[in-house]
Amino acid sequence: MNVVLTTLKKELMSYLFSPVGYIIAVLLYLYRGLEVSMVAAAVSSGGADRDQFSAAYVLQVSSFIMILLVPPILTMRCFAEERRSGSLEVLMTAPVRDWEIVWGKWLAAFIFFVVLWAPTLLILFFMTGSSFLDTDLAFGPVFSGYFGLALVGAMLLAAGCFTSSLTDNQLLASLAAMLINGALIMGPGLLSPYLTGIEGFEATAQTILEQINVYDHLTRWFARGLIDTSQIAFYIGGVCFFLFLSTKALEGRRWK
Amino acid sequence: MISVKNLVKRFGPTLAVDDVSFAVGQGEVVGFLGPNGAGKTTTIRVLACFHSATSGTAEVAGFDVFSKPVDVRRRIGYLPENVPLYTDLRVEEYLHYRAALKGVARKARKAAVEQAMERCGVLEVRRKLVGQVSRGYRQRVGLADALVARPPILILDEPTSGLDPNQRLRMKSLIRELAEEHTILFSSHILSEVSEVSSRILIINQGKLCADGSLQDLLEHSGSRQLEVTAAMASTELVASMEALSSFSTCTVLGDEGGMVTVSAKVLGSEDPRDAVFAMLREKDVAIRELKLALPTLEEVFREATSGGARLVESAE
Repeated sequence: MNVVLTTLKKELMSYLFSPVGYIIAVLLYLYRGLEVSMVAAAVSSGGADRDQFSAAYVLQVSSFIMILLVPPILTMRCFAEERRSGSLEVLMTAPVRDWEIVWGKWLAAFIFFVVLWAPTLLILFFMTGSSFLDTDLAFGPVFSGYFGLALVGAMLLAAGCFTSSLTDNQLLASLAAMLINGALIMGPGLLSPYLTGIEGFEATAQTILEQINVYDHLTRWFARGLIDTSQIAFYIGGVCFFLFLSTKALEGRRWK
Repeated sequence: MISVKNLVKRFGPTLAVDDVSFAVGQGEVVGFLGPNGAGKTTTIRVLACFHSATSGTAEVAGFDVFSKPVDVRRRIGYLPENVPLYTDLRVEEYLHYRAALKGVARKARKAAVEQAMERCGVLEVRRKLVGQVSRGYRQRVGLADALVARPPILILDEPTSGLDPNQRLRMKSLIRELAEEHTILFSSHILSEVSEVSSRILIINQGKLCADGSLQDLLEHSGSRQLEVTAAMASTELVASMEALSSFSTCTVLGDEGGMVTVSAKVLGSEDPRDAVFAMLREKDVAIRELKLALPTLEEVFREATSGGARLVESAE
């Protein structure tokens, strides 16, 4: 545990001292602010369905950019940079277990991801009670929506850690992670018409696709204030799966 | 402290380490010598648990490097060849981070870092970013990192590479100081520093261990020894008598001064041939002026060992 915490602390400091996080934050807050003010304006003018407020608030374009593109950018340097600079040798010859380093790095990326997101909730507090947003709007689903985004982000960050553990090229690591993220978010939806069309397999395919459809989980469940434990288990399982693969990829260096 | 038996490491079709066996006892300073690409770094990386071996066994401090890597790493301080450190941390921060990672208790960490910095002479750059210090300092920061958890064994891969002569001198004296408390295995391709610092030398070439012994042993048992004899004898007769002893390969007449002939002969095998030559000349009742066994330099031993000459491995116990 000591190694996980030490790695977490060191990696978190690296994120805080790197300009990448701040560039993402500034762009996100500006764009998010613009999106939210448009949603609020539509709600206050009565041009939007008040019941759909939280879904509209959570699921903006910036949300999808944040889960599709930002995790790979945050995690691309995790191991690829260590491999490129050779510091992986120093790191892995310390008395550490591979999984401790993997979990420490992922935790740091996840905490930083949450810290990046959190201020976007402040916009909501500033606007509540003003002429834009009534206090009687349902804010609970906004929080469950953010919870869902954090869960999805956690899994996609783990996928990013995995691709970063495979190469010493950061660009390649981030592109591969973006592909995996795209496949996870949109894959089930795109495959649905083909798989559910197979005779005798319709029901099974439907169930499987529902269970793994990240986009569906966000839009139909979390953003509407619905939290299903099987979905939480799916994302935690996803994190464990990708971090397990990352650990194995790191161990692979010993068997070269 | 270190025991390697029949170690083999392949990278695909390339045989990097070929059936290497050696041992390093407690308190020894062993120089691991070999040309570039000989297999030094690969062997060291196996000992530091960074690579696995294709076959064979290796133990460090009684722990197997394959099944107990964490126990092994707890007992070694490792300095990799190019000292790849985190350049975005300050020297002091880096060492604190490494001490924490190596499990140095929070209370003892500050003192351990201070001591390692002082020992390696990096106190003056403690607030500088690792990426901004010179190569010499970076090497010393790497060494401070290896020392910070006070491991009993130090494994240093080319600790003086890339250093200027002054820095190299400082690094050598530092290794000598560290030898008082640690068992040290260090690799190098610079012969003089190995002979100055280490109590024993291993020479590896093309993945094979071709010499193992103290400097004196290697010199005395080398196939490059020459025996010079100056005696009152006809040159042809002296050469013939020497060759008849079958301890020499080639005999050359170096000079003939007032009836005193000097012949130089290359010694075969590892025995000292002086007694036999002395007895032979006494039997012939010849006046002997000089009988000198000229030992080769380490350079000659190295050249001989790495050019496929006689193997000088004495023991791998």
